[in-house]
Amino acid sequence: MDFMKLLRRNETALIIAIILLSIVIGLKSPEFFTLANLFDIFRSSFVQLLFALGVLIVIISGGIDVSFPAVGIFSGYTAVVLMRQFHWNPNNLMLPIALAIVIGIALGAVNAVAIASFGIPTLIATLGTSGIFRGLMLTFIGSSFISDIPVALDKFATADLLKIQPAHGTLARLHVLIIPIVIITVLVSLLLSRTMFGRSVYALGGGIEATRRLGISIKRTQAKIYMLVGGLSGLAGILYVSLQRKANPYDLTGSELDIIAAVVLGGASIMGGNGTVFGTVLGVLLISLIKGNLILLGVSGSWQRAAVGALLLIGITVQALNESKKAKNRRVATNDEAGE
Amino acid sequence: MKERLSKFNTGLLADRKITQLMAITALTFGYFSIVSKDIFFTSANFTSMSYQIPEIAILSIAVMLSMLTGGIDLSIVSISNAAALVAAWIMTGHISKSGYESNLWIVIACIAGIMVGLLAGAVNSLLVAKLNVTPILATLATMTLFNGIAIGMTDGVSVSGLPDQFMRVGNGTFFGIPTPFVLMVVIAFAIGVLINRTTLGLKVFLVGTNRKAAQYSVMGDRKVIAWVYLVSGFLSSLAGLIIASRTSAASPDFGSSYILLAIVVVVLGGINPNGGFGTVTGVILATAVLQMVSSGFNALRFSQFFYLVSQGGVLIFVMILNVVLERRRTSRSISKSLRS
Repeated sequence: MDFMKLLRRNETALIIAIILLSIVIGLKSPEFFTLANLFDIFRSSFVQLLFALGVLIVIISGGIDVSFPAVGIFSGYTAVVLMRQFHWNPNNLMLPIALAIVIGIALGAVNAVAIASFGIPTLIATLGTSGIFRGLMLTFIGSSFISDIPVALDKFATADLLKIQPAHGTLARLHVLIIPIVIITVLVSLLLSRTMFGRSVYALGGGIEATRRLGISIKRTQAKIYMLVGGLSGLAGILYVSLQRKANPYDLTGSELDIIAAVVLGGASIMGGNGTVFGTVLGVLLISLIKGNLILLGVSGSWQRAAVGALLLIGITVQALNESKKAKNRRVATNDEAGE
Repeated sequence: MKERLSKFNTGLLADRKITQLMAITALTFGYFSIVSKDIFFTSANFTSMSYQIPEIAILSIAVMLSMLTGGIDLSIVSISNAAALVAAWIMTGHISKSGYESNLWIVIACIAGIMVGLLAGAVNSLLVAKLNVTPILATLATMTLFNGIAIGMTDGVSVSGLPDQFMRVGNGTFFGIPTPFVLMVVIAFAIGVLINRTTLGLKVFLVGTNRKAAQYSVMGDRKVIAWVYLVSGFLSSLAGLIIASRTSAASPDFGSSYILLAIVVVVLGGINPNGGFGTVTGVILATAVLQMVSSGFNALRFSQFFYLVSQGGVLIFVMILNVVLERRRTSRSISKSLRS
């Protein structure tokens, strides 16, 4: 592959940004370069990454989803409430997770109906459903904080794959979730690049009319996308509840921006048709790095949000500039052809 | 008969959506007046509603402007909070001064707040009009950025204890009518004139109807869009000042639910989210409907969260209704042309 082309890729720019930022933070405070901190960054990225994979699929298809935090917390909270209400075996870990995924898919189906059957613009549809989901949960399911979640979920929060105790310093713990998360990430990547469904998602983002002429059912693809995203968000929601060891129905509000920022920084174009899982992983890592370690740089924690905003702004501006340069090149090329 | 009907149909009733909205307004009003005669149908309730309507109406008009060009401005609430914070910060810094001097500082503070709004609007204009960033993303990023800067500057604490003279604007009356309401009427009238009676307004509709056609007719579509986001920032800062003067406080996270509400209002008010169609009258009527629903729910002692559900529900319902009616109209006109 051409070296310059590789350099211009979004992923390369992200890797450079992550390395530079790490060096700057590391120079300022040596505790940054410890295994414990690395594992902490991983741990805080798990839930974000699951949400981000869902958002990535939606953005590739040319839409935007702002309802995923509502879907996530709805699924996670409702699963915990159901477990407690019906006194299901609290030692069963898989049951609440399966419940949350099913609830997530059901909520995703609501989005799918609004978007695929009625053709409502995705931002407006998901803004509406996110109000509905959040309101329904707080009105009918519960608005109180649950601190004694089922035992299995609570224990899962501290299930470590490996513990490394360095000669001096804090104990580094790698959470067991790293394995399923890596598997899911690889699966989503394969789904997008190797299956008919994945290719239709890219096609849909490239152009609706063209996709229709290819003989791909727009409605069916969109319905699948939003249900899949619902399922991923449900899983993310229950894992969030488990890792936090509490179910708070007011949580996750406003987290949509960080995740959309991560996906867009990862190179997914909001116009659709572009984006890779690898880029998204890097975007999530970059955002986690900034949110978790800004304090080490001596920046007050209250500037975190501004930092994410500025980063997102830089990301989209660069993307837009590249886009218009490409469009110009294309125009020049067609003009040359016409001139000959 | 038909002739007389068509004559009757000119004027305000010519617009089908406005007629529908007027019917909905009357129905909502009638329903709550009957169901809750002793709480809803009281002058105290009407007064409190007329203090709450203006801020939402002004924010919604700001969203309407961007939606008329086919874009959207998600940063309105962040801008209004930032403007209110800057104004409140200046005011509280000079509160101990004597009467005249303190009045002068209030004027300076308001001007500073409006400058913040204009500056923020200019950033949006630069991104959307000059750099060609998709409006959703650009304003999502600036929303995070402005909100983040506001949080960073204040450490997330609200500024309260504004001078009495300033609070008199938001809580006083002007010839018996609440001052914010008067301000809203003036602003609505001005924007109505702007979009219906000026060339800029006409261009806004043309850009929203067909951007490509507007480009080819060399009307300076970028300039039109730049103006729209600038005016939107200006209106948001006015709304922020009114909110600050009504509540006597400014905080970086006030009214985070207003963005959903404003979009619900705009869509209910008959503005086409793809651009090109909408009226100020519709927005004002829709604000009144939603405020009546909110007050009515309060009077009936419904949960606050249920209002969130109904906001989302109204948004989705109106969008679905529009799609269904549109489909029916098209199929009817097709069959009509086939018959003739």
